Amino acid sequence: MSHLGERVSALVDGELGHSERDRALAHLTFCTDCRAEVEALRALKSRLRALERPAMPADLTMSLLRMSEPGGPLPPRIRPFPDASHTFGGVPIPGMHTISPPDNRPPRRGRGRPDNRADSSARTGRARRAGYVAVGMASAAVAFGTMFVVGGLGQAPPVVPQMERFANQHKTTAPYVQPGFSEAVHPTPHATPTPIRSPRPVK
Amino acid sequence: MRRLPAAVVVAGVVLLVLVAAHPVAGPVSGPQREAAEGDDTGIELLREAAYAGRTRSYTGTRLVTTWGAAGPSSALTHVRNVPGEGLTVRAETAAGAGTVAVGVDPGSPAAGLVSPSDGMLDVLARNYRVETAGTGTACGRTGRFVQATRADGSPAARYLVDEAGGVVLRREVFDGRGTLTRADAFIELSVPQERAAPRMSGHAWYGGPSLGGGPPNGQVAHLRQRGWDVPAALPGRLELFTAGETAEGYLHLGYSDGLSVVSIFVQRGTLDESRLAGWHARSRGGHTIWIRGLTGFEAAAQQVVWASGEHVYTVVADAPADMVDAAVAVLPHQEGIGAWEQVCRGADRLLSWISPFA
Repeated sequence: MSHLGERVSALVDGELGHSERDRALAHLTFCTDCRAEVEALRALKSRLRALERPAMPADLTMSLLRMSEPGGPLPPRIRPFPDASHTFGGVPIPGMHTISPPDNRPPRRGRGRPDNRADSSARTGRARRAGYVAVGMASAAVAFGTMFVVGGLGQAPPVVPQMERFANQHKTTAPYVQPGFSEAVHPTPHATPTPIRSPRPVK
Repeated sequence: MRRLPAAVVVAGVVLLVLVAAHPVAGPVSGPQREAAEGDDTGIELLREAAYAGRTRSYTGTRLVTTWGAAGPSSALTHVRNVPGEGLTVRAETAAGAGTVAVGVDPGSPAAGLVSPSDGMLDVLARNYRVETAGTGTACGRTGRFVQATRADGSPAARYLVDEAGGVVLRREVFDGRGTLTRADAFIELSVPQERAAPRMSGHAWYGGPSLGGGPPNGQVAHLRQRGWDVPAALPGRLELFTAGETAEGYLHLGYSDGLSVVSIFVQRGTLDESRLAGWHARSRGGHTIWIRGLTGFEAAAQQVVWASGEHVYTVVADAPADMVDAAVAVLPHQEGIGAWEQVCRGADRLLSWISPFA
């Protein structure tokens, strides 16, 4: 069997299995080098356990505690919608490069007194509702506008009354008589009549 | 002697009163009924004249005069009626005699409405009081006058029926103010066979059966479902007698009050005013209509054109001007398609584009 090598540390820490540990211990019975190495490592660990824990610096503790308080010193936030003109009804309109999660951080200390938090929350709710209404109205306007434009497509074609046909149909239609029994022609200066079929009977 | 019950006595008295009153009521109601029948003798004379105008051969020259806003206009027409073949009308023009109609029904506007059908006479009797009004002469022939009177007593029309030949010698139509607006009068007439022809019943001359009423209700309902506006009646007691959508895609409506005929043609589209040569725009009741001045025989029929929404209306009427104006006024006059209608149409189109079932 070769030297223990990396297994020395595992043997000292008691992390080897039964069979592995037995083989390692058997090796130590005849390998002086490995036995010396194991003893040295055990001595080192024993000394380390004997050492005292280092004391936490007081200023570091206070700094960490301050970080847990609300409104603590946070790094400046990059506004998701830096341009104030891109808002509609108080609701910012996201742009192509401004998608970010909503800012749900608690307000900063200097922004208002703690007793005004309810009013601020109510204002935010009203603004949000107004925003929803505005967005709904805008959507409806866009929909109606689209339907109006689409409805205007393909306007009826311009027509001219077919006066000759209409006048002929009028003068040859005898009221309360079954149509289709008469013929008529249009006025011509010729003496020879040229019969023209009367208009097709209405359905 | 046994006494009768009181109920029997009362019943007997009531019976005696009724029997005694009956002879008194008879003479009172009798003359009234006879007088009413006497008023209707005019319509029977007109029926005889219409029948004669359809079943007898005759030739003649008729003068058609109309009085419109631009003044009177006259046309000389030559008419020839052959039973079974119809009436032929030729109008004198500056270039000669032009044929107006061949083989038309004598009850049609081309024939001057001098031989109306039974259905049209029924409408006439329903809308006016028709009675005989003495005798007169025209083109050397003696005839009997029949006058149609409105409910207010003003004359609506007057016919002079030839006593020998039975045809209408003269026909006059008055507007609502009693002013003469049109007169069709024979100045020459030849009726070779002046004896009475055997009367046919139930059918109008050689044509099909006379339609007693207007178009079937189902037909009108079908047209309305297709989006057409079909008024059942128009001012001036004009009743719908025909309605149909032609193969060319336009709607034809015909109205008559028994004397006049108003035809309405409706096309889908917008009016191309640039191609209305010879027409003049006029404002009537805040709306723009187009009229044109006609001369000669064509002046007898008024023609009015206007646009409403996406429809073009054309009215051709053998009727007094006030009746035509009233009819035109009640028909649709929209400046253009409404915004809401356009939105609805757009929604339908979008739905048809999206829906696979549309």
